[in-house]
Amino acid sequence: MINAEQRQQILDEVRGINKGPRALMVYMDICARCGTCAKVCHVAQANPDRHTNPAVRADHLRALYKRYGTLSGKILGGLVGADNHRFGDDILEEWARDFYECSGCRRCAQFCPVGIDNSLITRKGRAIVHKLGKTPKYIVKTQDISDQTGNDEGQSFAAFMEAVRFLREEMKEATGRDIKIPVDKKGADILFVPASADLISFPDTQIGSSMFFHVAGMDWTMSSAAFDGANFGLFSGDDAHMKRKHKLIHDAMANLGCKTLVIGECGHAYRIAKRMAPGFWGTLPYQVTNILELAAKFVRSGRVRLDPSKNPMRVTYHDPCNMARSLGIVEEPREVLRACVQDFREMTPQGAENWCCGGGGGLAVMDGQEGVGLLDGTFLDYRMKVGGAMKWQQIGATGARYVAAPCSNCKRQLSQLMQYHKSDIEIGGVMDLFAKALVW
Amino acid sequence: MSALQFLVGVLLPPVTAAVLLVGVGIRVRTWYRAPIGKITLYPAAKGSSHLWTGVAKEVILFRSLWGGDPGLWAAAWVFHLSLALIFVGHLRVVTDFPRLWAAVGMGAQGVDTMSAWIGGGVGVVILGMGLYLLGRRFTSPAARDASKVEDYVALLLLLGVIVTGDAMRFLSHFDLEQTRAYFYGLLTLNLRSMPDNSLFWLHFLLGQILLMYIPVGKLLHLPGVFFSHPLLRWE
Repeated sequence: MINAEQRQQILDEVRGINKGPRALMVYMDICARCGTCAKVCHVAQANPDRHTNPAVRADHLRALYKRYGTLSGKILGGLVGADNHRFGDDILEEWARDFYECSGCRRCAQFCPVGIDNSLITRKGRAIVHKLGKTPKYIVKTQDISDQTGNDEGQSFAAFMEAVRFLREEMKEATGRDIKIPVDKKGADILFVPASADLISFPDTQIGSSMFFHVAGMDWTMSSAAFDGANFGLFSGDDAHMKRKHKLIHDAMANLGCKTLVIGECGHAYRIAKRMAPGFWGTLPYQVTNILELAAKFVRSGRVRLDPSKNPMRVTYHDPCNMARSLGIVEEPREVLRACVQDFREMTPQGAENWCCGGGGGLAVMDGQEGVGLLDGTFLDYRMKVGGAMKWQQIGATGARYVAAPCSNCKRQLSQLMQYHKSDIEIGGVMDLFAKALVW
Repeated sequence: MSALQFLVGVLLPPVTAAVLLVGVGIRVRTWYRAPIGKITLYPAAKGSSHLWTGVAKEVILFRSLWGGDPGLWAAAWVFHLSLALIFVGHLRVVTDFPRLWAAVGMGAQGVDTMSAWIGGGVGVVILGMGLYLLGRRFTSPAARDASKVEDYVALLLLLGVIVTGDAMRFLSHFDLEQTRAYFYGLLTLNLRSMPDNSLFWLHFLLGQILLMYIPVGKLLHLPGVFFSHPLLRWE
């Protein structure tokens, strides 16, 4: 239930769209409601219902914007798509459900004839939900932990150092070599920032990245103050949090005097570092790149010996939305995989047209339903039955035993999806396989 | 000149022109002035010449839609192509292009025959496509769920213009010279005669409502695609 004050706040926010950004404004005006988005959306495909239709979801904002934010809408009303039919008492519950069922994967934008990117509308909807304090608890909790500790996993300095020591021992055991993970090394060329989940939940990815830097002979370091690139401000629409969190990395670059920022297997972290950071601080005094781009370049140079027979199982590659559609990283991970595995099999469709795993936009951390109004069942149910349905079929069709997905959100979603279907298909990163294929 | 002819034929046209031009102008200016955020969608164009080639593919060929829904692509593309051809054909109602016809070696009779065949054919095709687009709003679940009053209004308005246009061509005697004289008079503020075809007046009225609808409704996608596609495809 919302009160008059909240109602006013919502209207003010919606009217504010007429100050920009340009894309969002144009999107409010030009939708032809042809339904193409619903045909290419993994949610609408798996659960064809009125409320999962992206154009209907977008209309939460569009109808109100036209009704209260445009002169033509005030005068002509329904004739120009302006109405407040859905502006009821449980609007926030409905928005929380609808805008969090959308993972913001941008697949619809790939096919929209009039060039609308619904993820911008979803993010604006989420931002309004956030300002009114109705963001799902998981997202809020992750942001709070991150604000307190600097990383989404809530690791202390001691825990981080312990993880680093543990990984070093693991690598020694596996290779017999002393492969360092330098921490806070001033003047290093490269600052490496993965998603902190890689240190705990997916350590093989961190091991793979560390071995890569070692064999490539690169001068790198991690920062004890900024070892987590994950950033839920992108998901909640909380721009202040997004900037605050990324500032840890920006500051670490300055404090350590590094020249290149290398983001690990985390699509949205790379997107923020590459696309959003210049918006915060202007032209950055350092280069920004990604571990997959570096690894592909290194593999291409032929300076590394890799033995694909060490990864004999069939491997397929899942394109994380942010990597492929938002950053254009499509070929690089495939180059690395082809050099590291014996039997690589593409999914269909692939690259920028690949389906979302169902865990994008922060959904991967949402298990129960706290804070998500009107959701039928838990969020985990939804992710398994609806969000991940297309992906499950797609993976099955490849016959792969290992799915490489260079994104912690995708990894968590896909791992849960395999558990849900009682499948033993392994989920991991790209660098994990690089490490296994290395010939010392 | 009847009161209705005066209303639709003398008073309304300047209003229509003003609403269309000022309305679209205001929308476009507001878009243009709004701050841009970087929202590149890959694969993206590198450099501005590639960008505009990409945008042209979207605007002229509806490339994205081809991948998303080939059936709709066919109908929508033919529908919009017909609209473009009809727009060009309507220029002849206002003026003629004797030099062009001379250059391609066509006589007056030839031009009229060509116009009858192409214009008539396109008129029938666009009617079929328009009806299909309306029909799929009832039969395709994705389109049905998305549809609102506005979508039916826009399509019915278009269909109204199409049907009266076709009727004028096929069911009545349309006097081109008379109509051209009227438009020439309207543009030069020197009205001498008015067409006496009642279907013309209905067609012209609906056509003007359609033009005035462009800046307020979903038909804003006409100027809008020149903003939305570059935003997505800009590297």
